[in-house]
Amino acid sequence: MGEKTKGSVIKPDLESYTERIRAECYSGVSDGRMNLDAGPLMRMELTDKLLKLCQANSLWPMTFGIACCAIEMMGTGMARFDISRYGAEVFRPSPRQSDLMIVAGTVNRKLAPVLLTLYEQMPSPKWVIALGNCAISGGPFNVKENYNIIEGVDKLIPVDVYVPGCPPRPEGLLEGILKLQEKITGVRHPIPQNRHPDSPQRKVKGLEL
Amino acid sequence: MRESHFQEHNRFFLNMGPQHPSTHGVLLIVLEMDGEYVLDPQPVLGFIHRMHEKMGESRPCQGFMPNTARMDYVCALPYNHGYVSLIEKKAGIEVPKRAEYIRVITSELNRVASHLLWLGAYLLDLGAFTPILYGFDDREHILDILEDVTGSRLTYCYYRFGGVYQDIDDKFVEATRAFIKRLRKRYDIYEKLVTKNIIFIKRAENIGIIAPDMAIRYGITGPNLRGSGIAYDIRKNEPYSVYPEFDFEVPVGERGDCLDRYMVRVREMEQSLRIIEQALDNLPDGPVRSKVPKKIKLTPGDCNFAVEAARGELSYYLVGDGTGVPYRLKIRVPSYSNLSCLPELGQGILLPDLVSIMGSLDLVIPEIDR
Amino acid sequence: MNQTYEDFKNNVLNLGVDVTETDFNQRGYHLEIVLTLNTIREFAQKAYAHGFYLVFVTGFHVLPQETEGGKTSGLEVVYQFAKYDRLFRVKARVSVSEDMTVPSICHIYHGANWHERETHDFYGIMFSDHPNLEPLLLCEEDRDYHPLLKEEKKLKSFEAVSWPAESPDMADIETQTSSDL
Repeated sequence: MGEKTKGSVIKPDLESYTERIRAECYSGVSDGRMNLDAGPLMRMELTDKLLKLCQANSLWPMTFGIACCAIEMMGTGMARFDISRYGAEVFRPSPRQSDLMIVAGTVNRKLAPVLLTLYEQMPSPKWVIALGNCAISGGPFNVKENYNIIEGVDKLIPVDVYVPGCPPRPEGLLEGILKLQEKITGVRHPIPQNRHPDSPQRKVKGLEL
Repeated sequence: MRESHFQEHNRFFLNMGPQHPSTHGVLLIVLEMDGEYVLDPQPVLGFIHRMHEKMGESRPCQGFMPNTARMDYVCALPYNHGYVSLIEKKAGIEVPKRAEYIRVITSELNRVASHLLWLGAYLLDLGAFTPILYGFDDREHILDILEDVTGSRLTYCYYRFGGVYQDIDDKFVEATRAFIKRLRKRYDIYEKLVTKNIIFIKRAENIGIIAPDMAIRYGITGPNLRGSGIAYDIRKNEPYSVYPEFDFEVPVGERGDCLDRYMVRVREMEQSLRIIEQALDNLPDGPVRSKVPKKIKLTPGDCNFAVEAARGELSYYLVGDGTGVPYRLKIRVPSYSNLSCLPELGQGILLPDLVSIMGSLDLVIPEIDR
Repeated sequence: MNQTYEDFKNNVLNLGVDVTETDFNQRGYHLEIVLTLNTIREFAQKAYAHGFYLVFVTGFHVLPQETEGGKTSGLEVVYQFAKYDRLFRVKARVSVSEDMTVPSICHIYHGANWHERETHDFYGIMFSDHPNLEPLLLCEEDRDYHPLLKEEKKLKSFEAVSWPAESPDMADIETQTSSDL
């Protein structure tokens, strides 16, 4: 180590890095593109629909705060914004118990393998919300001199809902959750939690509620 | 502890993090364990290294302002404050008195918000869920006040070179006074809920003692240092802005354990409220922004500016080269030094105590990694 | 100024290093000390004995210079110390020789451990006797990549980025410096 000379000033290649990390993570498992939407062996339409309703209304997010957006994520869980109105308040510290990963912050090269591992540890069906500009595209760190930031978490894992903002307001995250519910069931507000007694009945396709 | 309990078959390594609720972000601590005892905790950093220093050195100083709020997002305004004051000092920009008062008011509000969040998060680490609901409840009031005047909830970019972005109005003053009244009433609740709670005291008392000589060896600053009985506060020792005009105390602890650090922060909130009250009473009239040349030139030479952030001493060290882009920008963040004592602090203690110690150090990981 | 201040200054002068008093209002520190590679540890010991704490250690990259001792590497290590009990800030710097090695002070100031690792990450400066000079903030695979080293064309000479010997007025500086980025 004594005769070490000055290191290079050439930036590491970020593009190939994400590819490589993915390949390393999935090596020996599959070609890196596991078919996550294969679904159950037997399909029963009504059961499916019911299951999806249940899934959408009891999303269990993982406590995975990375940066600034995590504080807003915490704020969403607290009394004023109260994420439990939409059934998503059960924050689980273990990926094995959760089905929603909220990527709340910047992912850099050191964190990328961790993020992939966590994602793979979550049982299917699972969803991902990219919360904030950093998770969407690198945000304010997507700059010319960038040497460390993954420019968008969707280069690593599939993302279902993007919530822009730096950081997004808690209302933004709530809207993201509602959008995700819509994506799962095909209906916005599958089961309205805080329905006023006088408000008209809602119809979910095929189900009276 | 190491010798007496040591048995080869009991020894193992435990990874705490990077995804762990009580590391307050993405921090990995590799623990060498002997049963339930921690022999050697080694933090592994860098999971949220966001190259702030590189960005600071490759763009004009105005362009770096948003970054300052994204280091310690829980208490962003002192970070704004340090950077604008540094550039003003380097470029010789005058700041109107009213602007300095507004800076102090908003910075102190932000400090209270940070301590409230810390209080909730620390108790959450110890297994008590309720205090964080109360803490966030009060904190949201501050965020409302600050949002009205700064335009954002967390990552403020409110201070500008030569002043602040916009003036505060009567609504701001009214809301701030109402908040001060409200928080003073809430002290009782916190006292009953937390401070006098026997379970909390048992989890915090005589745990993680930072001795004064240890503080010097690691460069610990902020409430973590004041808990050990050293009244070192940049606002008093190296006065900046208009802080010398206010009458406030620097609360200190005695033993330097987790409980003392808790008490220091709780008492600091009251001191911040006192500063805000005095500033509101004596708020001078006048402009809030002075004329600043479009292209700020930083004279050759280095310059250091320290401010008291919620976690301790924040120093910006800048080297100018005559252009508008800093030649070198070093950011000395408090949590970096505060965390570096963990390997020594956490030797031979129980694992749950390590969680208590880490909570009491008030860490913000993106600030450490920068 | 006062007793501590003079005491410390004389004590450091005994080491045979260069000490300059600076204007605190202008620069934010009271003393600037230019160390040599052999005096770093002694200086750190003196600072520790006087009750200073370590604020930070960092690197600094300028154009290499030809000196009588040979070519320098262009890298500097900057230390800053301050005191808890009174306002007293000290900046010390040392220029790194061609072999890129600087004695570590992490056995005196334990907090320097991480600061030196960070400096190694960013600039590739080696610290001798450092117990664990592994990458701290950067990836394992970035061992040879040092992000804060400047590109050749952006490097400036040490004189261009330091305070002029006697402080001239602002107009002088305007004419001296070029404004290209």
